[in-house]
Amino acid sequence: MNNYQPSTTHKVIFTGLGGQGIVFLTRLFAQTAVALGYPVMASEIHGMSQRGGPVISHFKIGNDQAPLVQQGTADLMIALKADEAVRNLPFLRRGGVIFVNKEKGLVKEVQPHLERLNITVYSLDASSLAAKLGDARRANVVMAGFVIAHSLLPFSLEIMQEIMIKKFSRSAALNIQAMKVGFETGQSMLHKDSD
Amino acid sequence: MNTEVLLGNEVIALGLVEQGCRVVTAYPGTPSSEILPSVAKYKKQFNRQVYLEWSINEKVAFEVALAASWVGLRAAVAMKQVGLNVASDPFFSAAYTGIKGGFIVIPADDPGPYSSQTDQDSRLTALAAKVPVFDPSSPAEARAMIKEALMLSEEFHIPIMLRPITLLCHALQSISMKEPPALNDSIPTIKFQRDPQRWTATPKLRNLLRLKLNTKLAQIEAEFEKASFNYIFNESSSEKAGIIASGVAFHTTKQVLNNLGVELPILKIGTPYPLPQKLIKNFISNYQIVLVLEEPDACVEWQIPNRDQIRGRLDGTVPSKGELSPEVVSSILIKILKMTNCKITPPSDGRELQAFIKDLPLQMYTSRLCPGCAHRSAFFGIKREFGSKAIYPGDIGCYTLGTNLRAVDTVVNMGASVGMAQGFFQANQLVEDKRPILATIGDSTFLHSGVAPLINAVHTGARFVLIILNNHITAMTGFQPTCESEVLADGSNAACKIAISDLVRACGVDFIQEVDPYDHEMFRKTLRQAYNYSLTPRGSVAVVIAKRPCVIYDPSFIYKTPVPVVITEECNGCRYCMKAFECPALIFNKEKNRVDIDYKICVNCGQCINACSKGHIIPRHQNTAKRSLANEQLSAINNS
Repeated sequence: MNNYQPSTTHKVIFTGLGGQGIVFLTRLFAQTAVALGYPVMASEIHGMSQRGGPVISHFKIGNDQAPLVQQGTADLMIALKADEAVRNLPFLRRGGVIFVNKEKGLVKEVQPHLERLNITVYSLDASSLAAKLGDARRANVVMAGFVIAHSLLPFSLEIMQEIMIKKFSRSAALNIQAMKVGFETGQSMLHKDSD
Repeated sequence: MNTEVLLGNEVIALGLVEQGCRVVTAYPGTPSSEILPSVAKYKKQFNRQVYLEWSINEKVAFEVALAASWVGLRAAVAMKQVGLNVASDPFFSAAYTGIKGGFIVIPADDPGPYSSQTDQDSRLTALAAKVPVFDPSSPAEARAMIKEALMLSEEFHIPIMLRPITLLCHALQSISMKEPPALNDSIPTIKFQRDPQRWTATPKLRNLLRLKLNTKLAQIEAEFEKASFNYIFNESSSEKAGIIASGVAFHTTKQVLNNLGVELPILKIGTPYPLPQKLIKNFISNYQIVLVLEEPDACVEWQIPNRDQIRGRLDGTVPSKGELSPEVVSSILIKILKMTNCKITPPSDGRELQAFIKDLPLQMYTSRLCPGCAHRSAFFGIKREFGSKAIYPGDIGCYTLGTNLRAVDTVVNMGASVGMAQGFFQANQLVEDKRPILATIGDSTFLHSGVAPLINAVHTGARFVLIILNNHITAMTGFQPTCESEVLADGSNAACKIAISDLVRACGVDFIQEVDPYDHEMFRKTLRQAYNYSLTPRGSVAVVIAKRPCVIYDPSFIYKTPVPVVITEECNGCRYCMKAFECPALIFNKEKNRVDIDYKICVNCGQCINACSKGHIIPRHQNTAKRSLANEQLSAINNS
């Protein structure tokens, strides 16, 4: 399957703390993009404060072979920790979108900046949903499903689940479920908005 | 076509194996550490006969690979940039002797630096050593360069450097996986042949070899004039400014220009040394100003003889330190564009947002030893026993973080703790400073370069305590085996396990005690005995080997005997435990003015029990006991 148009570009920042599965998410998205015929370039930033410290990875679909996403140009940010979403706001472009693992939106103080930059925030308490499925650490995969539901990346749920089984077969069953829960929650939230 | 997503270091390994490298050696070091294990992976996947090893240090790694090249096999050695410092002796010499089978040296640079003692530029080391350099701009290009580098190496009988940086090593790129080139699977029948003019060249012959080397470099420069890795992107003679970009900086520059909505001609350089001078001269002649972008230092820029039109590091246009992030490149380019009166819409200023974020009370993170780390127990014990009136030479590894407990006073390079300890002893004799000297070093680092200085110290009668923190693994860089391990880099069994205590005894040390750093009382007692021994008339260096596995690599001991703890109601928030023991699982509760345990990250090692001298941290099962009873039981535990 090759959906690649030479002009297609997507720039994504993944962020969270060490141990939340940022690297896993990056590789999952990268493998999915590649399966669809897109060229991919990503960077895993292995900081010194890795043990529980902030982790960030840059992910790009397109012909750009520069390793990083320049600040002010990211289309999406997928944050597994709200504080990290705030810390990395400068990466987003005007009109960018944040998907954040949190029960409610980002801290009040940030709102004026979000409005000024026309940034949309979609929140999901992915950790709780993952915990209900039996493992709070699957929050990252729940978020993956949530993100796909919003159709901002050229991925379908089915293709990502297929990649999960093919390339990340360890505990794929639970991950498939977690992704589905995130996806369905995302879909129902979108339908609610459009009512 | 089959496409894979691969880490830059994996792609480098792929290149080495598919181009027929038969011997690959390395020493662990960020950002290069993934190269060797990936060679093991591809050796298996393509079913190739490849010898690979984690060598005891980079000098040995280089020499092992060099011998293979002299036999006629293709070989490679990988390390981080400061590791090249260790391998510099054979590196410089090999440029003169030359090689036989293609030989690639791969030092991974760390602009910043993020995790190194320096942000030195290995291309400059190659320039000094007269070794040609390939500077890849992406993982995919690194793979293509390895093919060319090996051919060039064999054509001119010269080692070649391939110099990636962190952002390439840890990049993920979609790579097409054609079948590996159909290399002849049989090992070449060539055997090592004597060649005294080269292989045993004494200084007189080295003079001749130097002349030959000069000729080779001139010929290689001529080759580089037509190399496919050097080309002009967006060629235009109507612009006032041009850019020369080496390595990854090329793609970053393209990206930033695209974001600025500006087109400028860029001369991409993939072979920074010897610099193709004609190519450079022709390019420069077209423009008023030429900006040179490369990192972490100037290398291309230094080689340009007439720099009147050049802007770069040497004239301050490019900051003299720090990475060439897209944001830094953007501000440099805006400066250049202003110089040429080019009209651009400057991007929205992110400074207001940055300033706002800086003021927010977001959680700050510092590098710290992991919960349960035996090094923490060791440093805590050392500090409790000897306090601030001692000198603590330290070394490179996870235990460098002993500095947080103020038990590491010096960190210079691998193995320096031992030599520095001796140096402090001799200097202190002269200035009549009688403070105890307690040096700390890890097991892998001790094997790397701690043995020679230990022999030197014993031989000269230096008096200090050396604590070898033995967690039986090279932890900081990702749990690579050491010469004490039972397994080798490819998983096969080691022919012989070296015992560090035997090695220390062979260095002439008379006082060697192995002790568990978790056993606070015994550890302190042993340190005191060691120190006292070092003061006796016949005393010299005393060695204490603190033995306990890395809690991340081998947490089995925690599962066997967990010690869950609680902090009692009596905690008054003095935070001595947080300052002196510094476990990340000890957190301060502002509302209640007390210290709490963060049970999400506590691993139940129970070591913090020692950290409160008032006995407010106790095993959980004692929580309901009266305070005096708890103390009694505490002593009983400590004495058992």
